[in-house]
Amino acid sequence: MKKTLPLVLGMLFGFYAVAEFYIPHHAVGTLTDEFRSWAGILTAAAFVLGGVNILQVTWPKIRRREADWEYKVILLAAAGVMLLVGLPWHRLVGSDAKATVTVAAGASAAGPATVIVEAPADVVVQVGSAVGAGKDAGGKPFTTQVEPGEVSIKLSRRVAGYQPQEVKATLTAGQVATVRGDPPMLWGKEGRVFVWLYDHVFAPCNSTMFALLAFFVASAAFRAFRARNVEAGLLLGAAMIMLLGRIPMGRALWDDLPDIAQWLLDVPNNGGRRAIMMGAAVGAIATGLRVILGLERSHLGSD
Amino acid sequence: MSATEQKPAHWSEKLQTFDRRWIFLAMSLAIVIPLFFPLGLPAKPDPMTKAAYNAVESLPPGSRVFVSLDMDPASTPELEPFFKAVMLHLKRKNVKVVFGTTWYSAPPLVERYMREVVEASIAPAGTAGYSGAPDRPYVKNVDYVNLGFRDGKGAIIQLFGSDLRKAFDGRANDGTALDQIPMMSGIKQLKDFDLIVLLNAGFPGAKEYVQFVGTRYKLKMIAACTAVSTTDLAPYFQTGQLIGLVGGMAAAAGYEDLVGKKGAGTSGADVLNIGSIVVMLAIIFGNVVYFVSPRRRRGGR
Repeated sequence: MKKTLPLVLGMLFGFYAVAEFYIPHHAVGTLTDEFRSWAGILTAAAFVLGGVNILQVTWPKIRRREADWEYKVILLAAAGVMLLVGLPWHRLVGSDAKATVTVAAGASAAGPATVIVEAPADVVVQVGSAVGAGKDAGGKPFTTQVEPGEVSIKLSRRVAGYQPQEVKATLTAGQVATVRGDPPMLWGKEGRVFVWLYDHVFAPCNSTMFALLAFFVASAAFRAFRARNVEAGLLLGAAMIMLLGRIPMGRALWDDLPDIAQWLLDVPNNGGRRAIMMGAAVGAIATGLRVILGLERSHLGSD
Repeated sequence: MSATEQKPAHWSEKLQTFDRRWIFLAMSLAIVIPLFFPLGLPAKPDPMTKAAYNAVESLPPGSRVFVSLDMDPASTPELEPFFKAVMLHLKRKNVKVVFGTTWYSAPPLVERYMREVVEASIAPAGTAGYSGAPDRPYVKNVDYVNLGFRDGKGAIIQLFGSDLRKAFDGRANDGTALDQIPMMSGIKQLKDFDLIVLLNAGFPGAKEYVQFVGTRYKLKMIAACTAVSTTDLAPYFQTGQLIGLVGGMAAAAGYEDLVGKKGAGTSGADVLNIGSIVVMLAIIFGNVVYFVSPRRRRGGR
């Protein structure tokens, strides 16, 4: 039963996935969309399984102090930190801090109204079309004059991870509105800490890994890319033309070089690539059919 | 000379085993020096980039475009220049834009793009070196909608094709119901968009869009990809399944040239120039060493 049920389910859904392409009925389309939603939910659930799996794989190695166990501690700690800062804690402790407006009569009952915003210096204040910092270089609060009527005051921070605040006030001629606010920090996937870790830890590490490729390509070019025979010589020649033809310097050296590179891409490359893709597609169809028909069972954990 | 005394190694054999950190140093210099002393060689667009530009250029004002940002921070040097250039192109044509991503590592990056590129003006009037029409800051849920991230790889792309609203539970990333956003009226699935722009750094990406929804729903799609993926996607351009393809930083520089505003793609093209030269010199040097090697002459490999 442990293997038969998944096998039958796989067969049914596999047949359906193929058949729905040939049944242009709206009911089939609706059912298909439902199944695709299920697929999305299953994939999301796989993240949870992945987390549990990482714990199962790495924790015993840390406990036994196996080789490189220190890196596994960093892995688990990093995953734990990202999980914790990715939760919207501000919803638990309340993040609905709002800016307040106090309206008072001004020195004169005529002329424009005045808006004074008392906010930290790093807050961006927008009053109507006027934009400025919460405090100027001298530490004075942002002050502007507006036409009498309704005015919208927005407070935000330039950096991500803070909840913008917005208040509206209706002012008459000469009135002075004093707005006090400070956009609160958010937690969760759009929160300050999560975004900071993404921008300052994940993004540089991710980029560094990819950038290292340039060094290894150069090293491999010296050590491995050799014209040992005619085929390797052809590959090498094509690579040189592509390298030079796809950069601006290629055109500066010889006007026709980019065209030759484009021909290489359009004709020999696309021809070969198409053959590989078709071969892979036929292989995928064959494997898919074997899975649907129950002949291929390795995905169920058997041989 | 005694029989047991070994002959000194040939110079080419010594070079075969030389410290590869010298190559790393050469590559480092090739990357850093052009950033300080740019060559400024003009980056001309290739036919695939021109086709992508023409696809955007042919959009009438008020068109609606879906942009899929399937990328991560590692691919930003190659894809971000195109993103900025195509957003300037779309914004100055007053095109409404809907964003989504199928990459779990993309959402904070997408949020940053919304703040720094979409909600800000890329080329306001008076921008030095830019003679095109200025763009304006876009307003969330008025000029653009960010649908956010959905996982599910190929399956979720298929759902985008048949029912985009269902894939995102009928809500934008900020929780606003799509029914309450005027620019989303009449949009249920991908084929309701006038153009699909794919920024693709790998799987899932442009290839899956072509295979699962492109041909099935007859979508007009252009793609930008990293340089290494260009050969993967070029066959789809040739068959018309992609109506434009911007492959790598050099092509992004070409797109910047067409849009008329030079950016990171153009300055990065200098790094590409010198970096590629270093790789070519490494290949030539490696082959010279290989061919003069006495061991190879004796028939060895």
